[in-house]
Amino acid sequence: MNKKTHEADVSFIQALAELLRDNDLTELEVMREYSENDSLNVRVSRGGTVVAQPAAPAPLAAAAPAAPSAPAPAADSAMADPASHPGAVTSPMVGTVYLQPEPGAPAFAGVGDKVAEGDTLLIIEAMKTMNHIPAPRAGTVKRILVEDGGAVEYGAPLMIIE
Amino acid sequence: MTWPDGYGRRILTEVDSTNAEAARIAPGLAGPEWILAHRQTAGRGRRGRPWRDPVGNFAATLVLRPKGRPDHVALLSFVAALALHDACSTVTGQPARFALKWPNDVLLNGGKLAGILLESMGGTGGGVAHLAIGIGVNLRDVPTQATVEPQALRPVSLLSETGVAITPDDFLDQLAPAFAQRRAQFDTYGFAPIREAWLARAARLGAPIIARTLRDTLEGTFETIDDRGNLVLLTAQGRAAIPAAEIFFEGGGHASGD
Repeated sequence: MNKKTHEADVSFIQALAELLRDNDLTELEVMREYSENDSLNVRVSRGGTVVAQPAAPAPLAAAAPAAPSAPAPAADSAMADPASHPGAVTSPMVGTVYLQPEPGAPAFAGVGDKVAEGDTLLIIEAMKTMNHIPAPRAGTVKRILVEDGGAVEYGAPLMIIE
Repeated sequence: MTWPDGYGRRILTEVDSTNAEAARIAPGLAGPEWILAHRQTAGRGRRGRPWRDPVGNFAATLVLRPKGRPDHVALLSFVAALALHDACSTVTGQPARFALKWPNDVLLNGGKLAGILLESMGGTGGGVAHLAIGIGVNLRDVPTQATVEPQALRPVSLLSETGVAITPDDFLDQLAPAFAQRRAQFDTYGFAPIREAWLARAARLGAPIIARTLRDTLEGTFETIDDRGNLVLLTAQGRAAIPAAEIFFEGGGHASGD
């Protein structure tokens, strides 16, 4: 990918983020085909992550915080960096997230659910090891910051439990 | 080989799944323990896929409380694969027929002989409370083609491919010491020698493969595994380090050489 395409991609993604915010959408996914082997796959979601991936490589593309939805100013800083939120549960490893025990099953935890300390919140897979991530404390799931099947990095915020 | 010191051995006539049993007994365990079931009524594979194992095939789980962070503990996936390769080589005396498919499938004559599924429960303080290493080996019977995914490797059994007949109990007596040895190597010297031994037995190294996740399909050359166990794939767009994916050798049909 040359510099020009890269810049075009960046402004394209920025435009999508604005579209999302202005229209009060929660998620938007677009695929742009440049040629047979060159395409851009973008998924933008609010209160979650922006994941931009060239179709083929970089499954580890770093998740970046999405455009904040501009609520009460007090919540702004936490929205900007959910990892620093006191109720944040962060990823202990790099891998793929699963929100359900298996495809088709109900999610381990949904927004608004009460969880007890030690309850499984989600699974992170790496090396065909399914790691059950437990709730570090009892509380209510306030936000889910990752999507089923998405990639997470070490330290990435997964959920907010308060 | 003799049974390894410090490892428990529990034989069950029937259980839902040995990994489920592992999770139930883990809190009360004093040390690592092998659980062998002669029959599983609800055997499971990756992401809830059913794992069928008729009587005569091997279904066991090693449950342990490993030290270290989850990403380090996940490397036991390769330790288990190597141990299983070791045990198969010992039992048949034909190590060259076996190979490893990333991260932990054991292949025999290019077909899928065994599957390993690890499940861990995170502990407080970022560690791992317990780890269950579930191992299924087609010792005698081959699952029917209908039960495997399209484009997956053809399933094979130890008996059909090598003529070697062994009971699950006797197989466990080979696998348990093999695992203890590989784990000691890992605990003492780290991942480097495990990685090297794994690569020496790797199927399709340097050849084209397909890595499929829930969202992407990546095609490229299987270059190596890195020091964290990630599969390193050289694609037309560059290098990708992959921590989780299903690996296929071909886009359509079954592996050649059937």
